[in-house]
Amino acid sequence: MRFEKYFQPKSVKECPALLKEYGADAKVLAGGTDLVPRLKNGQLHPVAVIGLMDIPGIDAIDVTDEGLTLGTLANLRKISLDQRLEKDYKVIMEACGHVSSMQVRNIATIGGNACNASPSADAIHGLLLYDAVATIASEDSMREVPLHEFFKGPGKTVLGTGDLLLRFFVPAPKAHTGASYQKYAIRGDSDISIVGAGARLTLDSDGAVAEARISLASVAPTPLRMFEAENMLVGSKLDAEGIEKAAEICSNQVSPITDQRATQEYRIEMVRVWVRHALEQALERAKI
Amino acid sequence: MYEDKMRFELTVNRRKRVVYVHPSMTLLEVLRDELNLTGTKRGCDDTNCGVCTVLMDGKAVKSCTILIPQAAGHRITTIEGLEGEDGLHPLQQAFIDHFAVQCGYCTPGMILTAKAILDENPNATEDDIREGLHGNLCRCTGYKKIVEAIEAVRDGDYGDYAVDWREV
Repeated sequence: MRFEKYFQPKSVKECPALLKEYGADAKVLAGGTDLVPRLKNGQLHPVAVIGLMDIPGIDAIDVTDEGLTLGTLANLRKISLDQRLEKDYKVIMEACGHVSSMQVRNIATIGGNACNASPSADAIHGLLLYDAVATIASEDSMREVPLHEFFKGPGKTVLGTGDLLLRFFVPAPKAHTGASYQKYAIRGDSDISIVGAGARLTLDSDGAVAEARISLASVAPTPLRMFEAENMLVGSKLDAEGIEKAAEICSNQVSPITDQRATQEYRIEMVRVWVRHALEQALERAKI
Repeated sequence: MYEDKMRFELTVNRRKRVVYVHPSMTLLEVLRDELNLTGTKRGCDDTNCGVCTVLMDGKAVKSCTILIPQAAGHRITTIEGLEGEDGLHPLQQAFIDHFAVQCGYCTPGMILTAKAILDENPNATEDDIREGLHGNLCRCTGYKKIVEAIEAVRDGDYGDYAVDWREV
Protein backbone atom coordinates (compact mmCIF):
# COMPACT_ATOMS: atom_id res chain seq x y z
CA MET A 1 0.00 0.00 0.00
CA ARG A 2 1.42 3.38 -1.02
CA PHE A 3 -0.56 5.20 1.68
CA GLU A 4 -3.36 4.33 4.07
CA LYS A 5 -5.87 7.13 4.03
CA TYR A 6 -7.13 9.41 1.31
CA PHE A 7 -8.99 12.66 1.85
CA GLN A 8 -10.54 15.00 -0.69
CA PRO A 9 -11.66 18.11 1.21
CA LYS A 10 -14.35 20.32 -0.33
CA SER A 11 -13.06 23.57 1.18
CA VAL A 12 -9.82 25.22 2.26
CA LYS A 13 -11.17 25.32 5.82
CA GLU A 14 -10.95 21.53 6.18
CA CYS A 15 -7.28 21.33 5.14
CA PRO A 16 -5.24 22.80 8.04
CA ALA A 17 -6.85 20.49 10.61
CA LEU A 18 -6.19 17.45 8.43
CA LEU A 19 -2.63 18.55 7.74
CA LYS A 20 -2.07 19.13 11.44
CA GLU A 21 -3.53 15.80 12.49
CA TYR A 22 -1.18 13.84 10.23
CA GLY A 23 1.77 16.24 10.36
CA ALA A 24 4.81 14.84 8.60
CA ASP A 25 2.74 11.76 7.68
CA ALA A 26 0.52 13.80 5.35
CA LYS A 27 1.20 14.64 1.72
CA VAL A 28 -0.80 17.03 -0.42
CA LEU A 29 -1.80 15.86 -3.90
CA ALA A 30 -1.90 18.66 -6.48
CA GLY A 31 -1.04 17.32 -9.95
CA GLY A 32 0.93 14.42 -8.53
CA THR A 33 3.65 14.45 -11.20
CA ASP A 34 6.33 14.55 -8.50
CA LEU A 35 4.38 12.89 -5.69
CA VAL A 36 3.05 9.81 -7.50
CA PRO A 37 6.41 8.49 -8.80
CA ARG A 38 7.82 8.86 -5.28
CA LEU A 39 4.87 7.02 -3.77
CA LYS A 40 5.39 4.24 -6.28
CA ASN A 41 9.14 3.86 -5.90
CA GLY A 42 8.94 3.92 -2.11
CA GLN A 43 10.81 7.18 -1.56
CA LEU A 44 7.79 8.49 0.34
CA HIS A 45 5.57 6.59 2.76
CA PRO A 46 2.88 9.01 3.92
CA VAL A 47 -0.03 7.77 6.02
CA ALA A 48 -2.47 10.22 4.50
CA VAL A 49 -2.78 11.84 1.08
CA ILE A 50 -4.96 14.91 0.70
CA GLY A 51 -6.25 15.70 -2.80
CA LEU A 52 -7.09 19.37 -3.37
CA MET A 53 -9.03 19.08 -6.63
CA ASP A 54 -12.51 19.55 -5.11
CA ILE A 55 -11.71 22.93 -3.57
CA PRO A 56 -13.61 25.58 -5.57
CA GLY A 57 -11.37 28.04 -7.43
CA ILE A 58 -8.12 26.35 -6.39
CA ASP A 59 -7.07 26.06 -10.07
CA ALA A 60 -7.94 29.66 -10.99
CA ILE A 61 -5.99 31.76 -13.50
CA ASP A 62 -7.35 35.30 -12.99
CA VAL A 63 -6.10 38.41 -14.77
CA THR A 64 -7.15 41.86 -13.53
CA ASP A 65 -5.71 45.39 -13.84
CA GLU A 66 -3.95 44.84 -10.50
CA GLY A 67 -2.22 41.66 -11.51
CA LEU A 68 -2.34 37.93 -12.06
CA THR A 69 -3.61 35.39 -9.55
CA LEU A 70 -2.72 31.73 -9.93
CA GLY A 71 -4.43 29.22 -7.68
CA THR A 72 -2.15 26.54 -6.30
CA LEU A 73 -3.67 23.97 -8.70
CA ALA A 74 -3.40 26.25 -11.76
CA ASN A 75 -2.30 23.90 -14.51
CA LEU A 76 1.08 24.46 -16.17
CA ARG A 77 -0.15 23.80 -19.70
CA LYS A 78 -3.17 26.08 -19.26
CA ILE A 79 -0.88 28.83 -17.98
CA SER A 80 1.51 28.29 -20.89
CA LEU A 81 -1.30 28.62 -23.47
CA ASP A 82 -3.49 31.32 -21.85
CA GLN A 83 -3.56 34.19 -24.36
CA ARG A 84 -4.65 36.68 -21.66
CA LEU A 85 -1.11 36.36 -20.28
CA GLU A 86 0.63 37.03 -23.60
CA LYS A 87 0.98 40.80 -23.23
CA ASP A 88 2.13 41.29 -19.62
CA TYR A 89 3.16 37.85 -18.34
CA LYS A 90 4.80 36.13 -21.30
CA VAL A 91 7.77 34.90 -19.25
CA ILE A 92 5.39 33.17 -16.83
CA MET A 93 3.81 31.34 -19.78
CA GLU A 94 7.25 30.42 -21.15
CA ALA A 95 8.65 29.14 -17.86
CA CYS A 96 5.57 26.93 -17.38
CA GLY A 97 5.79 25.81 -21.02
CA HIS A 98 9.34 24.51 -20.56
CA VAL A 99 8.41 21.87 -17.98
CA SER A 100 8.72 18.35 -19.36
CA SER A 101 6.31 17.01 -22.00
CA MET A 102 2.78 18.01 -22.98
CA GLN A 103 1.43 15.05 -21.00
CA VAL A 104 3.14 16.18 -17.79
CA ARG A 105 2.20 19.83 -18.28
CA ASN A 106 -1.45 18.75 -18.74
CA ILE A 107 -1.42 17.51 -15.14
CA ALA A 108 1.32 19.40 -13.26
CA THR A 109 0.47 22.53 -11.26
CA ILE A 110 2.22 25.75 -10.33
CA GLY A 111 1.68 25.16 -6.61
CA GLY A 112 3.12 21.66 -6.92
CA ASN A 113 6.20 23.00 -8.71
CA ALA A 114 6.74 25.48 -5.85
CA CYS A 115 6.01 23.14 -2.92
CA ASN A 116 8.15 20.37 -4.37
CA ALA A 117 10.96 22.94 -3.96
CA SER A 118 13.31 21.33 -6.43
CA PRO A 119 16.42 23.43 -7.09
CA SER A 120 15.77 22.74 -10.78
CA ALA A 121 12.10 23.84 -10.80
CA ASP A 122 11.47 25.76 -14.04
CA ALA A 123 7.84 26.87 -13.81
CA ILE A 124 8.27 29.13 -10.79
CA HIS A 125 10.92 31.34 -12.39
CA GLY A 126 8.44 33.62 -14.18
CA LEU A 127 6.84 34.21 -10.79
CA LEU A 128 10.19 34.83 -9.09
CA LEU A 129 11.10 37.44 -11.69
CA TYR A 130 7.76 39.21 -11.25
CA ASP A 131 7.89 39.44 -7.43
CA ALA A 132 5.07 36.97 -6.84
CA VAL A 133 3.65 36.68 -3.34
CA ALA A 134 2.42 33.36 -1.95
CA THR A 135 -0.71 33.22 0.19
CA ILE A 136 -0.54 30.49 2.81
CA ALA A 137 -3.52 29.30 4.85
CA SER A 138 -3.08 27.84 8.31
CA GLU A 139 -5.62 26.85 10.96
CA ASP A 140 -6.58 30.32 12.16
CA SER A 141 -4.83 32.76 9.86
CA MET A 142 -3.60 33.59 6.40
CA ARG A 143 -0.17 34.98 5.66
CA GLU A 144 1.72 36.25 2.68
CA VAL A 145 5.29 35.35 1.82
CA PRO A 146 7.33 36.74 -1.10
CA LEU A 147 8.21 33.82 -3.35
CA HIS A 148 11.95 34.44 -3.06
CA GLU A 149 11.65 33.76 0.69
CA PHE A 150 9.52 30.65 0.15
CA PHE A 151 12.32 28.15 -0.58
CA LYS A 152 14.52 26.87 2.23
CA GLY A 153 16.41 23.94 0.71
CA PRO A 154 15.94 20.97 -1.63
CA GLY A 155 12.35 19.88 -0.96
CA LYS A 156 12.05 22.39 1.89
CA THR A 157 9.84 25.48 2.04
CA VAL A 158 8.53 27.89 4.66
CA LEU A 159 5.38 25.77 4.93
CA GLY A 160 5.01 24.42 8.45
CA THR A 161 2.70 21.75 9.83
CA GLY A 162 -0.88 22.65 8.99
CA ASP A 163 0.08 25.16 6.29
CA LEU A 164 -1.41 25.06 2.81
CA LEU A 165 -0.18 27.11 -0.15
CA LEU A 166 -3.35 28.65 -1.59
CA ARG A 167 -2.30 30.93 -4.43
CA PHE A 168 0.23 33.29 -5.94
CA PHE A 169 -0.38 36.94 -6.73
CA VAL A 170 1.77 38.69 -9.31
CA PRO A 171 1.48 42.49 -9.43
CA ALA A 172 0.93 43.85 -12.96
CA PRO A 173 4.26 44.92 -14.47
CA LYS A 174 5.05 48.55 -15.24
CA ALA A 175 5.49 49.82 -18.78
CA HIS A 176 8.77 48.97 -20.54
CA THR A 177 9.20 45.68 -18.73
CA GLY A 178 10.78 42.73 -20.50
CA ALA A 179 11.69 39.32 -19.19
CA SER A 180 13.15 36.01 -20.30
CA TYR A 181 13.68 32.53 -18.87
CA GLN A 182 16.29 30.33 -20.52
CA LYS A 183 16.30 26.62 -19.78
CA TYR A 184 19.56 24.94 -20.74
CA ALA A 185 19.17 21.18 -20.95
CA ILE A 186 20.64 18.56 -23.28
CA ARG A 187 17.45 16.67 -24.12
CA GLY A 188 15.00 19.53 -24.39
CA ASP A 189 12.18 20.29 -22.01
CA SER A 190 11.76 16.69 -20.79
CA ASP A 191 15.25 16.89 -19.35
CA ILE A 192 16.16 18.49 -16.02
CA SER A 193 17.97 21.76 -16.60
CA ILE A 194 21.75 21.98 -16.27
CA VAL A 195 21.22 25.67 -15.66
CA GLY A 196 18.08 27.79 -15.79
CA ALA A 197 18.51 31.56 -15.99
CA GLY A 198 15.82 34.23 -15.79
CA ALA A 199 15.98 37.99 -16.11
CA ARG A 200 13.50 40.83 -15.89
CA LEU A 201 14.26 44.46 -16.66
CA THR A 202 11.98 47.47 -16.20
CA LEU A 203 13.28 50.60 -17.93
CA ASP A 204 12.52 54.23 -17.02
CA SER A 205 11.54 56.87 -19.58
CA ASP A 206 15.20 57.51 -20.42
CA GLY A 207 15.85 53.85 -21.09
CA ALA A 208 17.90 53.31 -17.93
CA VAL A 209 17.25 50.26 -15.76
CA ALA A 210 14.70 51.11 -13.05
CA GLU A 211 14.26 47.55 -11.77
CA ALA A 212 16.22 44.39 -12.40
CA ARG A 213 15.62 40.78 -11.41
CA ILE A 214 17.83 37.78 -12.10
CA SER A 215 16.92 34.24 -11.07
CA LEU A 216 18.78 30.95 -11.40
CA ALA A 217 17.80 27.28 -11.36
CA SER A 218 19.86 24.13 -10.73
CA VAL A 219 22.94 25.90 -9.33
CA ALA A 220 22.22 26.01 -5.58
CA PRO A 221 20.09 24.17 -2.98
CA THR A 222 17.14 26.46 -3.83
CA PRO A 223 15.97 28.59 -6.74
CA LEU A 224 18.07 31.76 -6.47
CA ARG A 225 17.59 35.49 -6.80
CA MET A 226 20.87 37.31 -7.56
CA PHE A 227 20.47 40.52 -5.57
CA GLU A 228 23.99 41.87 -5.99
CA ALA A 229 23.93 41.63 -9.77
CA GLU A 230 20.41 43.12 -9.81
CA ASN A 231 21.50 46.14 -7.74
CA MET A 232 24.51 46.64 -9.95
CA LEU A 233 22.27 46.99 -13.00
CA VAL A 234 19.85 49.56 -11.55
CA GLY A 235 20.41 53.10 -12.81
CA SER A 236 22.56 52.10 -15.76
CA LYS A 237 21.80 52.17 -19.46
CA LEU A 238 22.44 48.54 -20.08
CA ASP A 239 25.00 47.58 -22.70
CA ALA A 240 27.02 44.48 -23.53
CA GLU A 241 29.65 45.34 -20.93
CA GLY A 242 27.08 45.74 -18.15
CA ILE A 243 25.41 42.49 -19.11
CA GLU A 244 28.74 40.66 -19.03
CA LYS A 245 29.57 42.15 -15.64
CA ALA A 246 26.23 41.06 -14.17
CA ALA A 247 26.68 37.57 -15.60
CA GLU A 248 30.16 37.43 -14.07
CA ILE A 249 28.85 38.39 -10.62
CA CYS A 250 26.21 35.66 -10.87
CA SER A 251 28.69 32.97 -11.85
CA ASN A 252 30.86 33.90 -8.84
CA GLN A 253 27.96 33.49 -6.42
CA VAL A 254 26.49 30.11 -7.27
CA SER A 255 27.18 26.80 -5.55
CA PRO A 256 26.16 24.05 -7.97
CA ILE A 257 26.79 20.35 -7.51
CA THR A 258 28.37 17.87 -9.89
CA ASP A 259 25.92 15.20 -11.01
CA GLN A 260 25.23 13.02 -14.06
CA ARG A 261 24.04 16.02 -16.05
CA ALA A 262 27.02 18.35 -15.59
CA THR A 263 29.99 19.14 -13.42
CA GLN A 264 30.14 21.98 -10.95
CA GLU A 265 32.76 23.80 -13.03
CA TYR A 266 30.70 23.53 -16.21
CA ARG A 267 27.58 24.82 -14.48
CA ILE A 268 29.46 27.85 -13.14
CA GLU A 269 30.66 28.66 -16.67
CA MET A 270 27.16 28.14 -18.06
CA VAL A 271 25.66 30.56 -15.54
CA ARG A 272 27.71 33.31 -17.14
CA VAL A 273 26.53 32.32 -20.63
CA TRP A 274 22.85 31.90 -19.86
CA VAL A 275 22.47 34.94 -17.61
CA ARG A 276 23.85 36.89 -20.55
CA HIS A 277 21.29 35.36 -22.94
CA ALA A 278 18.47 36.02 -20.47
CA LEU A 279 19.47 39.66 -19.91
CA GLU A 280 19.87 40.25 -23.65
CA GLN A 281 16.39 38.95 -24.41
CA ALA A 282 14.86 40.77 -21.43
CA LEU A 283 16.41 44.04 -22.61
CA GLU A 284 15.17 43.51 -26.16
CA ARG A 285 11.66 42.87 -24.90
CA ALA A 286 11.72 45.82 -22.47
CA LYS A 287 12.45 48.20 -25.32
CA ILE A 288 9.34 47.25 -27.32
CA MET B 1 -8.94 -5.69 2.53
CA TYR B 2 -12.19 -4.53 0.95
CA GLU B 3 -12.77 -1.80 3.56
CA ASP B 4 -9.71 0.09 2.31
CA LYS B 5 -11.23 0.40 -1.12
CA MET B 6 -13.24 3.34 -2.34
CA ARG B 7 -15.79 3.76 -5.10
CA PHE B 8 -14.74 5.75 -8.16
CA GLU B 9 -16.77 6.58 -11.24
CA LEU B 10 -15.20 7.48 -14.54
CA THR B 11 -16.14 7.42 -18.19
CA VAL B 12 -13.89 5.16 -20.22
CA ASN B 13 -14.31 5.07 -23.99
CA ARG B 14 -17.78 6.63 -23.71
CA ARG B 15 -18.96 4.05 -21.13
CA LYS B 16 -19.52 4.91 -17.51
CA ARG B 17 -17.45 2.59 -15.34
CA VAL B 18 -17.52 2.12 -11.58
CA VAL B 19 -14.51 0.63 -9.82
CA TYR B 20 -13.88 -0.27 -6.19
CA VAL B 21 -10.16 0.13 -5.63
CA HIS B 22 -7.65 1.57 -3.18
CA PRO B 23 -7.15 5.29 -3.88
CA SER B 24 -3.39 4.74 -4.26
CA MET B 25 -3.93 2.82 -7.50
CA THR B 26 -2.94 4.61 -10.67
CA LEU B 27 -5.21 5.13 -13.64
CA LEU B 28 -2.92 2.76 -15.59
CA GLU B 29 -3.39 -0.01 -13.01
CA VAL B 30 -7.16 0.46 -13.01
CA LEU B 31 -7.36 0.40 -16.82
CA ARG B 32 -5.21 -2.70 -17.19
CA ASP B 33 -5.97 -4.72 -14.07
CA GLU B 34 -9.58 -3.78 -13.24
CA LEU B 35 -11.05 -2.99 -16.66
CA ASN B 36 -8.87 -5.36 -18.74
CA LEU B 37 -8.02 -2.58 -21.18
CA THR B 38 -4.50 -3.83 -21.83
CA GLY B 39 -4.00 -1.73 -24.95
CA THR B 40 -2.57 0.91 -22.64
CA LYS B 41 1.00 -0.23 -21.95
CA ARG B 42 3.21 -0.07 -18.91
CA GLY B 43 6.76 0.96 -19.78
CA CYS B 44 9.09 2.88 -17.51
CA ASP B 45 6.22 3.34 -15.01
CA ASP B 46 7.95 6.59 -14.05
CA THR B 47 6.44 9.31 -16.33
CA ASN B 48 9.26 9.24 -18.86
CA CYS B 49 8.47 6.96 -21.78
CA GLY B 50 4.86 7.82 -22.67
CA VAL B 51 3.63 4.33 -23.60
CA CYS B 52 0.89 4.67 -20.97
CA THR B 53 -0.52 7.83 -22.58
CA VAL B 54 -4.32 8.09 -22.60
CA LEU B 55 -6.62 11.05 -23.14
CA MET B 56 -8.32 12.64 -20.14
CA ASP B 57 -11.04 15.07 -21.23
CA GLY B 58 -9.28 15.08 -24.60
CA LYS B 59 -5.84 16.00 -23.21
CA ALA B 60 -2.88 13.62 -23.44
CA VAL B 61 -1.74 12.45 -20.00
CA LYS B 62 0.51 9.70 -18.63
CA SER B 63 -1.74 7.25 -16.85
CA CYS B 64 1.10 5.71 -14.79
CA THR B 65 1.37 8.94 -12.80
CA ILE B 66 -2.29 9.72 -12.17
CA LEU B 67 -3.95 8.38 -9.06
CA ILE B 68 -7.44 7.06 -9.62
CA PRO B 69 -9.07 9.84 -7.54
CA GLN B 70 -7.58 12.32 -10.04
CA ALA B 71 -9.27 10.53 -12.93
CA ALA B 72 -12.63 10.09 -11.18
CA GLY B 73 -15.41 12.05 -12.87
CA HIS B 74 -13.34 12.55 -16.00
CA ARG B 75 -13.63 11.23 -19.55
CA ILE B 76 -10.86 8.77 -20.44
CA THR B 77 -10.05 7.57 -23.96
CA THR B 78 -7.75 4.59 -24.48
CA ILE B 79 -6.57 3.02 -27.74
CA GLU B 80 -9.52 0.60 -27.53
CA GLY B 81 -11.86 3.59 -27.78
CA LEU B 82 -10.59 4.88 -31.11
CA GLU B 83 -11.95 2.22 -33.44
CA GLY B 84 -15.42 3.13 -34.64
CA GLU B 85 -18.22 1.11 -36.25
CA ASP B 86 -16.74 1.88 -39.63
CA GLY B 87 -13.30 0.59 -38.76
CA LEU B 88 -10.05 1.99 -37.55
CA HIS B 89 -9.48 5.62 -36.63
CA PRO B 90 -7.50 7.29 -39.46
CA LEU B 91 -4.46 7.63 -37.19
CA GLN B 92 -4.51 3.88 -36.58
CA GLN B 93 -4.81 3.20 -40.32
CA ALA B 94 -2.11 5.75 -41.15
CA PHE B 95 0.34 4.14 -38.71
CA ILE B 96 -0.22 0.81 -40.52
CA ASP B 97 -0.03 2.31 -44.03
CA HIS B 98 3.15 4.26 -43.27
CA PHE B 99 4.85 1.43 -41.36
CA ALA B 100 5.08 3.66 -38.30
CA VAL B 101 5.04 0.53 -36.13
CA GLN B 102 7.83 -1.91 -35.51
CA CYS B 103 7.59 -3.71 -32.16
CA GLY B 104 4.38 -1.79 -31.49
CA TYR B 105 4.83 -1.19 -27.80
CA CYS B 106 4.91 2.60 -28.06
CA THR B 107 2.14 2.70 -30.67
CA PRO B 108 -0.99 3.10 -28.49
CA GLY B 109 0.61 6.03 -26.66
CA MET B 110 1.94 7.52 -29.90
CA ILE B 111 -1.49 7.38 -31.56
CA LEU B 112 -3.28 8.94 -28.59
CA THR B 113 -0.70 11.71 -28.33
CA ALA B 114 -1.04 12.23 -32.09
CA LYS B 115 -4.81 12.51 -31.67
CA ALA B 116 -4.37 15.12 -28.93
CA ILE B 117 -2.01 17.09 -31.19
CA LEU B 118 -4.41 17.11 -34.17
CA ASP B 119 -7.53 17.63 -32.04
CA GLU B 120 -5.93 20.74 -30.56
CA ASN B 121 -4.53 21.92 -33.89
CA PRO B 122 -5.60 20.16 -37.11
CA ASN B 123 -2.97 22.23 -38.97
CA ALA B 124 -0.05 21.25 -36.71
CA THR B 125 3.30 21.70 -38.47
CA GLU B 126 6.05 19.08 -38.41
CA ASP B 127 7.66 21.07 -35.57
CA ASP B 128 4.37 21.12 -33.63
CA ILE B 129 4.03 17.36 -34.12
CA ARG B 130 7.59 16.63 -33.01
CA GLU B 131 7.23 18.94 -30.00
CA GLY B 132 3.94 17.24 -29.11
CA LEU B 133 5.57 13.79 -29.33
CA HIS B 134 8.42 14.89 -27.04
CA GLY B 135 7.08 12.78 -24.17
CA ASN B 136 6.72 9.56 -26.20
CA LEU B 137 9.76 7.37 -26.75
CA CYS B 138 10.15 4.86 -29.60
CA ARG B 139 13.26 2.66 -29.50
CA CYS B 140 12.71 0.81 -32.80
CA THR B 141 11.87 2.92 -35.81
CA GLY B 142 12.92 6.41 -34.95
CA TYR B 143 10.28 9.03 -35.36
CA LYS B 144 10.27 9.78 -39.08
CA LYS B 145 7.58 7.27 -40.07
CA ILE B 146 5.48 8.23 -37.09
CA VAL B 147 5.60 11.91 -38.04
CA GLU B 148 4.82 11.01 -41.68
CA ALA B 149 1.77 9.01 -40.62
CA ILE B 150 0.44 11.92 -38.57
CA GLU B 151 1.14 14.37 -41.40
CA ALA B 152 -0.79 12.15 -43.83
CA VAL B 153 -3.84 12.34 -41.56
CA ARG B 154 -3.39 16.10 -41.16
CA ASP B 155 -3.11 16.50 -44.95
CA GLY B 156 -6.47 14.87 -45.58
CA ASP B 157 -5.38 11.46 -46.91
CA TYR B 158 -8.09 9.94 -44.69
CA GLY B 159 -10.74 12.66 -44.97
CA ASP B 160 -10.90 16.16 -43.56
CA TYR B 161 -9.56 15.71 -40.03
CA ALA B 162 -11.05 18.91 -38.60
CA VAL B 163 -14.51 18.05 -39.94
CA ASP B 164 -14.65 14.27 -39.75
CA TRP B 165 -12.40 13.23 -36.89
CA ARG B 166 -11.73 16.07 -34.50
CA GLU B 167 -12.53 14.93 -30.95
CA VAL B 168 -14.19 11.74 -32.22
